[in-house]
Amino acid sequence: MKTCLIVDDSRVVRKVAARIIKDLRFEVVEAGNGSEALDICRKQMPEAVLLDWNMPVMNGLDFLRALRREEGGKKPVVMFCSIENDAEHVGEALRSGADEFIMKPFDAEILESKFAEVGLI
Amino acid sequence: MQDGVFNELADLALKGSGQAIPRSKSYLIEARLAPIARREGFGSLDDLVHCLKSRANPVFAAECAAALVSKDTWFFRERDTLHRLVNDILPMRLKAGNTGRVKIWIAGGSTGQEAYSLAMLLEDDLPSALRGAKIEILSTDLCKTATERARAGRYGHYEVQKGLSIHRLLHHFTRTDSGQWEISEALRSKVSFRQHNLLESAGGLGKFDVILCRNVLSGMDRSARSRVADSLAAQLMPGGLVILGQGESLIGLTNQLEPSRDFRGTWIASNGTPKTATSAA
Repeated sequence: MKTCLIVDDSRVVRKVAARIIKDLRFEVVEAGNGSEALDICRKQMPEAVLLDWNMPVMNGLDFLRALRREEGGKKPVVMFCSIENDAEHVGEALRSGADEFIMKPFDAEILESKFAEVGLI
Repeated sequence: MQDGVFNELADLALKGSGQAIPRSKSYLIEARLAPIARREGFGSLDDLVHCLKSRANPVFAAECAAALVSKDTWFFRERDTLHRLVNDILPMRLKAGNTGRVKIWIAGGSTGQEAYSLAMLLEDDLPSALRGAKIEILSTDLCKTATERARAGRYGHYEVQKGLSIHRLLHHFTRTDSGQWEISEALRSKVSFRQHNLLESAGGLGKFDVILCRNVLSGMDRSARSRVADSLAAQLMPGGLVILGQGESLIGLTNQLEPSRDFRGTWIASNGTPKTATSAA
C-alpha cells in the first residue's frame, strides 16, 4: 500500500484529508509542521505528500526545498494544499519542486481528481 | 414529496428532455428546481406545479424541464477518450475528408467543460497530423443557463480543481475580481455554444465528423434514447463517428448506427453512410 504524508498544522484539516485519502487506499502518516515531516521522510520516504504552506517551526516551502535535497527526496509526489493560492505563491511552489497545487478549501472529489492528475491513482 | 407533485414533475422531465427520474431520486427534483422556485417566490414545489398547470407558459415549462437535467460534468472527464479523439480519430477524419476541416459536435455539453477540455488539448498537444487544420467545435445543451455559463467560460473554485492540473489552470485561465476563473479568449474563440434540445431535429446544426454524446443518453428513457440516437446518426458526415460515454451503448436502440470496426467504443452509420432524418423515419 502506498503512503501519503499529510503535513498541516490544523488537526481538523489533517483528519478530513486523512479520511478521504484512506478511501483512496493510501496509508496515511501525519505531521503538524515541516520539521516533523522531514524527520518522517528521513526514516521512510512516502509516495505522496499533501503539504500546507503556513505552519509553525518550518513552513511548507522550506520543507519542500529541504525534502528535494534529501537522498530519495525527489521521489515523493508533492501536492501543495494551501489557502495561499495567488499566482505568485503557486508559481513559487512549482519552482520549488511541487508537482501539483490544491487550493483550499477542498473536498473528496478535488483530492481524488488531483491524485489522478499526478498519476497516484 | 407527494406522489402527485412527483408525477407531474417527472412527467415534465420526460416530455421535455427524455430524462427518466425514478421515484427513489425525487431529491434530485427538489435540488434542481429549488433555485427556480426561490427566484419565482414559490413557497414549495407544490406551488410551482400549481403554476405550471394553471398557467400555460411553455417557456417556463421548458426552463423547468431543462433544470431537471443533470449538469454533472468536469474538465477532462474520461480523458482517455479525448486523447484518442485528438491523436487518432481527428487525424483520420481530416485525411478522409480532404477539406482541411474537421467538425465536432458535443451534444449535451452542459456548462462547457468538455468542449474547453478538447480545445485545451488541441492547443497544448496538437498532433502533427492536425497542424494547419481548421477544427470547429460546437457544444449544445438543452439548458439556456448552462449554455450561457459555457459561453461566458467562467468557473468556480471547485469546478476548476476537478480534472484540471494547476499548470493548465494557470496557463489557460485568469482569476476575476469575484474569485471566479475565466478561460482565455483564445480558447473561447475556438468553441461555439448553442442551446438545443436533443429530442428535436438537429438538422439546423449541420453535419459533423465526430459527435460526442457522453453520459447523456444513460439518464434518458429508452424511447428518448432511440430517438436521439437516430437524430445523431442523421447529422454524421459519411464515415463520421458517434462517441458515447464509457459503458454506454446503442445496441438495440437504433438501426442507424453500428459499432465501428476501426475505433473500439465508437459508432458509425450503418453501411457507412448516414441516412437523413426523413429517410430514417
